[in-house]
Amino acid sequence: MIEDDIYRTSSQFRLWSYTESSLNTLRTTTNNIASERVRAALRRARERHLSATPSATGTPQPGSDAEEKDIECLTPEEELVLVRYYCEKTVELGDTYRPPLPTNVRATAIQYLRRFYLTNSPMTYHPKSIMACALFVATKTDNYYMSLRSFAEGIPGDTTPDDVIAPEFLLMQGLRFTFDVRHPFRGLEGGVMELSAIAQGQGKPAPHLPQHTPETLKEGILNLAPPAVPASSITDRIGRAHGATRELLKSAAQMTDAYFLYTPSQIWLAAFLIADRPLAEFYLDTKLGGPIDPSAMETDTSNTQNTLSELRTKLLQVLADCAALLQSYTPLSSDPDQMKSLKRIAKKLYHCQNPEKVNLKRDTAAPRLTPAGDGGTVTSESETERLAKKRKLEMESKQRGGHDVFGPELVPDRTRH
Amino acid sequence: MASQDPRDEDEVCPVCKSSRYLNPNMRFLINPECYHKMCESCVDRIFSSGPASCPVAGCRKTLRKNRFRQQTFEDIGVEREVDIRRRVMHILNRREEEFDSKRAYDDFLEQREEIIANLVYRTDVAKTEAQLQAYAQENIQSIKANQALEEQEATSFQKKILMEQEEARMRQQIAREEYENERREQQATREDFLTRLASGSAADVAAITHDGHKVHLKKSSARRSEEDRIRQKQAALRGTEGKRTGTPLAMGETPGATSGAGLIKGLRKIKTPEPEKPYDPFMGLVPGKRDYYTQLESYPYAFLDKLRSDTTVQAGGYDLQEYYSRTLLEAFAGLGCFVQEEVAQREASSALGISKPAATEGAAMAAVGRNTA
Repeated sequence: MIEDDIYRTSSQFRLWSYTESSLNTLRTTTNNIASERVRAALRRARERHLSATPSATGTPQPGSDAEEKDIECLTPEEELVLVRYYCEKTVELGDTYRPPLPTNVRATAIQYLRRFYLTNSPMTYHPKSIMACALFVATKTDNYYMSLRSFAEGIPGDTTPDDVIAPEFLLMQGLRFTFDVRHPFRGLEGGVMELSAIAQGQGKPAPHLPQHTPETLKEGILNLAPPAVPASSITDRIGRAHGATRELLKSAAQMTDAYFLYTPSQIWLAAFLIADRPLAEFYLDTKLGGPIDPSAMETDTSNTQNTLSELRTKLLQVLADCAALLQSYTPLSSDPDQMKSLKRIAKKLYHCQNPEKVNLKRDTAAPRLTPAGDGGTVTSESETERLAKKRKLEMESKQRGGHDVFGPELVPDRTRH
Repeated sequence: MASQDPRDEDEVCPVCKSSRYLNPNMRFLINPECYHKMCESCVDRIFSSGPASCPVAGCRKTLRKNRFRQQTFEDIGVEREVDIRRRVMHILNRREEEFDSKRAYDDFLEQREEIIANLVYRTDVAKTEAQLQAYAQENIQSIKANQALEEQEATSFQKKILMEQEEARMRQQIAREEYENERREQQATREDFLTRLASGSAADVAAITHDGHKVHLKKSSARRSEEDRIRQKQAALRGTEGKRTGTPLAMGETPGATSGAGLIKGLRKIKTPEPEKPYDPFMGLVPGKRDYYTQLESYPYAFLDKLRSDTTVQAGGYDLQEYYSRTLLEAFAGLGCFVQEEVAQREASSALGISKPAATEGAAMAAVGRNTA
């Protein structure tokens, strides 16, 4: 199918699609590396503290191992809950603006956050600082222009513009500089548009199923099994399904791993299945043909028919999985138990926050001195080392530059990035 | 009586019975259709007003005036055979280099002779003619190409002959001039010798005679060596010219494009290069082609109806068709991409190459695409 090939070229498919197992391993490795770093950083901080205070110098240090055990790091699951909480916060933050930020922008920001925290840990960079920045980047990438100042003013509390953009480069690095997020929202509009055309008898058959006519399609949609909530007319029914799907896409699809595991069209169709099952199944059948009874299969089924029915069975399974994933979501704020555990996680995070990464503003002001590379990135671990080495070399050559017969470099910053 | 005499046959027109005796300028013409002889005035008389049947009793062939020509050979049979031979050779004009082997070429020559013989002796004429016509139609191209080659060869042969004649002429002229020169010089020496004898004393006589003889010898030997040099130079020149004329012939010997006909066996297979297909910038992709949906001209959708009438939207060139195509494409883009399978495959293939360069990733993508597409 040509549409699928078009989707395969997107960065969302190439870089940000995972299998469930690979997603889990990625999160675990990120968490492991980040916890190690947190421990190392805290130990360093303690050593510095000990050497700075003379009273402590006399005492021996028998319990450095024991002390290390005190630092209890977040587990990958806790990290995930935390990120989800801040994703929900992003939606709320979008609501504080007048007018509220569009759904697209908020959804993009949420996906940025989720993608960023695949290779970075909340212990390294606190989601609170990243969240605002992600939303700001999303306004830019989704063509919803806001000036940085008005954006910072909209954030409750005393957030300065500098605070907002401090982690910007870091975030982009974490996103691997791919800003394109394919959302299911527009696809839903397309589907609803086509369904209403079918309902009015203007529907055209899909290219592989020329046996349909506008009349048969209309007849099909009118004779569907009634929905759970009875609707007055077919337009009403479509409208209702549309609204329900949209709500699902705005919440459940954003807060779960759906974007990593499924394609946008699968996501919206799965949400549509939840909203109005007969209607969604009818729509799929107009595209892929109905179920083929095995007796007819042996006699006269063309090759395309076969591939379509194969695709259909496979797709139905995937859609069912996706729908289950979407239905498994319950908002954190509505569940007191989850809120309680969240508070515990927040408290824990307070203790295991990496002290070296707290001040992002300082880091971005002098990004050359401290490795600006994201601490927990799995793939770029050797990359950061290489960069550090390169920077060191550059620093050395810079110092030597004073003695260079041709003088120091004219544009020192150009080659840096 | 007169008709009995073989010489008289030449002199009397078999149609009008007028004889050369009465009309000394009489010319006899024949038509290759039936080879019946008649005089020029008869041809004018009978065939001026278009085709007519042969006036000779028993012959019902329809003849045309423009086909009448003068007889080349005395014997009508020979004339006919030569005509037939020419026609057949014109059609079956394969060349030796077009055959796989010498044997195949010889077979072809034999076959050609057989066809000619069949036509000449009127055995299986219809069948042979049909064969010949079929072959001519099938191999129009190669026949034409070979004809062109033959013509080219003929002209180049003629040129060569002309050049050789010219050379011979030059050689003769040079020889003549040489002889002239020698004679003149001999005369000059003799005169010189005589004047010196006349002016010199008696004692010198012996020395002068000896001298003069030596000079003469020297001059003639010098001349001879000079001639040799010129001759060598000319020979060398001729050699290069010969080569130069040789090359275009070899170049021109590419035979026609049609591969052999059923009639002739053992023809070398000629590969015709595939004609280049028209350039396709999308490499087989149809730009507007979609697999999941067919786009409509417009959709009944209340939310978009506002836009259709809104001039502020329309003024900027906003096209609802763009919106339709984009939303519908996004509705189905990736519907058949099964991330769980395809990404697993991708990871497996990228695990083989530890570093993940763009090329292998692309290959993995392509492999994934091939499996589901």
